[in-house]
Amino acid sequence: MADDQKGVVAGGFSLLWRRQGVLWWVFAVNLLCGALGAGPAAIRTAHALSHSLAGQKLSDGFDLGMFIELLRLPNVDLWRYSTTSYVFAFLFFLFMILVTGGILESYRQDRRLNTGDFFAASGAFFWRFVRLMLLSIIPFAIVGMIYQALSKAADHIGDRAIADQVGIFLGWGAMLIFLLLALWVRLWFDIAEVRAVARNERGMWRNLWKAWRITWHDSRHLFRIYFCISLVAWVTLVVGLVIWAHLPPTSLPLSFVLLELIVFAQLMTRLWQLASATTWYQRHAEVVLVETVIYTTPHPVEIDETTPPPASDLPPAGPGPELPPAGA
Amino acid sequence: MKRQLVLRLCLTVLLWSVAAAAQSPFAPEVKGPLSQRVVAYQIDAKYDPPTHTVTATETLTYHNLTGQALDTFPFHLYLNAFQPKSTWIHEAHRDGNFRTSSLATWKPEDYGANDVTSFEVVGMGDLTKQMKFVSPDDSNPDDKTVFQVKLPRPVAPGQDVVFKIKFKATFPEVIARTGYKRTFLLAGQWFPKVGVWWHGQWNCHQFHAMTEFFADFGTFDVKVTLPKDYVIGATGVQVSEQDNGNGTKTVGFHAEDVHDFAWTADPNFKVINDTFDGSVGQVRIRLLSYASHERQWQPYITCVKDSMKRFDEWYGPYPYAQITVVDPPHGAGEAGGMEYPTFITGDSGWYIPKGVHLIDLVTEHEFGHQYWYGMVATNEFENAWMDEGINSYTEVKVIDSFYGANASILNWMGAQLGEREYQRFAYLSDPDIDPLYRHSYQDMSMGDYGSISYGKTATMLISLEKIVGEQTMRNAMHTYFMRYRFTHPTQEDFMKTVNEVAGQDLSWYWNQALFGTQVLDYEVLRADSNPVNWFDPNLKEKKGETEYETQVILHRKGDFIFPVEAVVKFDNGDTTYERWDGKDRWVRYVYRKKAQVDSVQIDPDYQVTLDSDYLNNSRTTESHHGAVHKIAVYWMFLTQFLAQMLSWLA
Repeated sequence: MADDQKGVVAGGFSLLWRRQGVLWWVFAVNLLCGALGAGPAAIRTAHALSHSLAGQKLSDGFDLGMFIELLRLPNVDLWRYSTTSYVFAFLFFLFMILVTGGILESYRQDRRLNTGDFFAASGAFFWRFVRLMLLSIIPFAIVGMIYQALSKAADHIGDRAIADQVGIFLGWGAMLIFLLLALWVRLWFDIAEVRAVARNERGMWRNLWKAWRITWHDSRHLFRIYFCISLVAWVTLVVGLVIWAHLPPTSLPLSFVLLELIVFAQLMTRLWQLASATTWYQRHAEVVLVETVIYTTPHPVEIDETTPPPASDLPPAGPGPELPPAGA
Repeated sequence: MKRQLVLRLCLTVLLWSVAAAAQSPFAPEVKGPLSQRVVAYQIDAKYDPPTHTVTATETLTYHNLTGQALDTFPFHLYLNAFQPKSTWIHEAHRDGNFRTSSLATWKPEDYGANDVTSFEVVGMGDLTKQMKFVSPDDSNPDDKTVFQVKLPRPVAPGQDVVFKIKFKATFPEVIARTGYKRTFLLAGQWFPKVGVWWHGQWNCHQFHAMTEFFADFGTFDVKVTLPKDYVIGATGVQVSEQDNGNGTKTVGFHAEDVHDFAWTADPNFKVINDTFDGSVGQVRIRLLSYASHERQWQPYITCVKDSMKRFDEWYGPYPYAQITVVDPPHGAGEAGGMEYPTFITGDSGWYIPKGVHLIDLVTEHEFGHQYWYGMVATNEFENAWMDEGINSYTEVKVIDSFYGANASILNWMGAQLGEREYQRFAYLSDPDIDPLYRHSYQDMSMGDYGSISYGKTATMLISLEKIVGEQTMRNAMHTYFMRYRFTHPTQEDFMKTVNEVAGQDLSWYWNQALFGTQVLDYEVLRADSNPVNWFDPNLKEKKGETEYETQVILHRKGDFIFPVEAVVKFDNGDTTYERWDGKDRWVRYVYRKKAQVDSVQIDPDYQVTLDSDYLNNSRTTESHHGAVHKIAVYWMFLTQFLAQMLSWLA
């Protein structure tokens, strides 16, 4: 099982690597959103600081006092510009919903789709994935409520303990449980997305139910895959921030590169999860009929998902059929 | 036989001396009395942990040093503040919360009380029925934090009167510097305390949410009976401990020349002892903390010792034999950051990142109160700036000396924050609402009280250094401390001392900073250079050869007048220093030289912390983008990170 799991993780990474163009595009859009989100604040800061020596306290180090000055003064009021960041973060979120169909189709076929095909696939699944995302609010809310309850219990027990650590560790435990449960929900919905693309599934309730059965059936295996990749994300984040904190305050280009690497690593691990889910699905979950073509085959053949055939009986994972040109 | 008797006598005297020395409330080279002792309290208290109550008998001997006959005596009953209709709760609820406690809803565990069950005056009989609650500040009929008693006959000047009071103190779950949390108890403001005869009348304010306390100096002999397994710490020094044989023990404490008495107890306390060698002898440091806070023990001790060293060197000696430092348990934050004579509470936790100077910030501040409150015992109800504010000022000086001015609060993850900036921001959150001179309990809100009492005072005194010099200011603080320790000085005493040591009349400054609400803001309005021969059609500008006329205009934007120093730099390396009295709305400086202006900066050392806008204090002709790029990069990263996190839900 461990080898198999390693195979899927490695296979997922291999797929991610082969289709790395997708990752670069996603990163480029994220970078653009970041730049546009930061733009107004940067312009405002430039207006306030470009001809003031006060900026030296920020460029020679990071004097929190001077930064607070920028947030505090009504004529600068940097807080106001955080709204722009939220807007662009939300736009990126919408973008990711839009392109997930294209990304998964690209992974499914394991070939580079041209722009038209990519966005045709993206568009074909957009509303289905919007529905999935809306449905995901329910389990995420339940996970959130579980976290609230656990957190409250941790506070309750911690408040009665002599040592601070009891409450702190219980609180961390509650947070870990929350993260793991949220990861499981993400996994479930990712399988649903992968399945929807693989089978051109239109009914999202039914798709979700089948994805649940698949995920639940091979829960341990799948969860390990996702957890391992998440661990990479968390470790790179922590290590990246620690290195960043130790950089000389004046080395801004290095700082920029490092911070971008952190973001890149987060996006990469997310796509790695999707690639791994696709790989796993193709190897284990169902026999995917090669004639599944998004636009021309409205009713794919249903097969029994509860008893997947052995891996050796599966058709070799390889590129699927060419998609018809966009608009066909 | 006789020789043996003499030897035995000598031995007895020696042992008694050693014991007495060990129990002396003063440092070895200090002899009391240090204050005009008005009160002498003897209290026998019994603590009942399950009910969080103390039943006690208090004997108060009051020496009438007022110079006139007194027939009415007011007393504080601070714990009665923790009742729904009290002035304290009304004020805290009005302002939303009290420190870390939300008072949006009333909870049974918020209840506290001081119930006087018997009030007797020796020689005048039982006067329990004469007790009458009064509300001198707001006429709230439901406030029971002050009562007064009219005696059948007056106490003549110079005479003593002895009160015997039986009372029961019920503690709330820890709030406002007193109360319990699990097995921990901080017993502050727990006994009936007589008011202060000050400026020809009784000064005995109700307990207000914003402000603290005021009391007379005297002696305290307090015995506390509590379960045997409890560890206890208190004001003064421990002088006795007796096992009562019934699972309880009685511990005795003695303090002299202090004006309050607090104690703490918890069976889970760990005791860490150390000493500080001060200029008047060795002082014991007794830290009461928890096993879970073990990694904070050393930072506590180091901070106390370093603070004592600075205060000893800069302001004057710490004359007591001991300082007790209490590290409250988790969840008891309301007990943290509080001062009582020779007894302070800090704030820590299981883990504090290196570079976050929380322990120093709180511990130093509370130790500083041993000077500015403990010994220089100002009226905290009326002039909170004189204890909290002056203490915040010395806190800036001391903490800055530990870690440097730019990182004295925080030096973590590449970010720095200095204590003076922290105080400045506190002030600038409400710079023009209340003058410092106003009675503190009458400030608009708790937020405003904090902003003014702490932040503005510290900021104002740091800025004053620009006028009189740092060393002069330190000398002034030293003189003020030495002159007014063990007394109740007024605002005028402080101003007078600073004026005297500085050798100048600073009324113009006090009028604005202390009595007024003016806001200080100077800016560089203009800084540019133009060729003198601008009209010459054949003019070709050449660096070092073309003559320019440079104009610099400084502008007083705010209504606070303050002398301004400006540095004008030219592109040939020349630097000119200007000093403007700052009185007019603006001033123009004109220079003619073969160089163009590079930059103009007001207050280049950021010493005038009262200035409400640092960004407009300078102007450069060339643009500098280092800071802008840094903020853009960080802002961009945060946006990108937020975006990718959100996309996880997609």
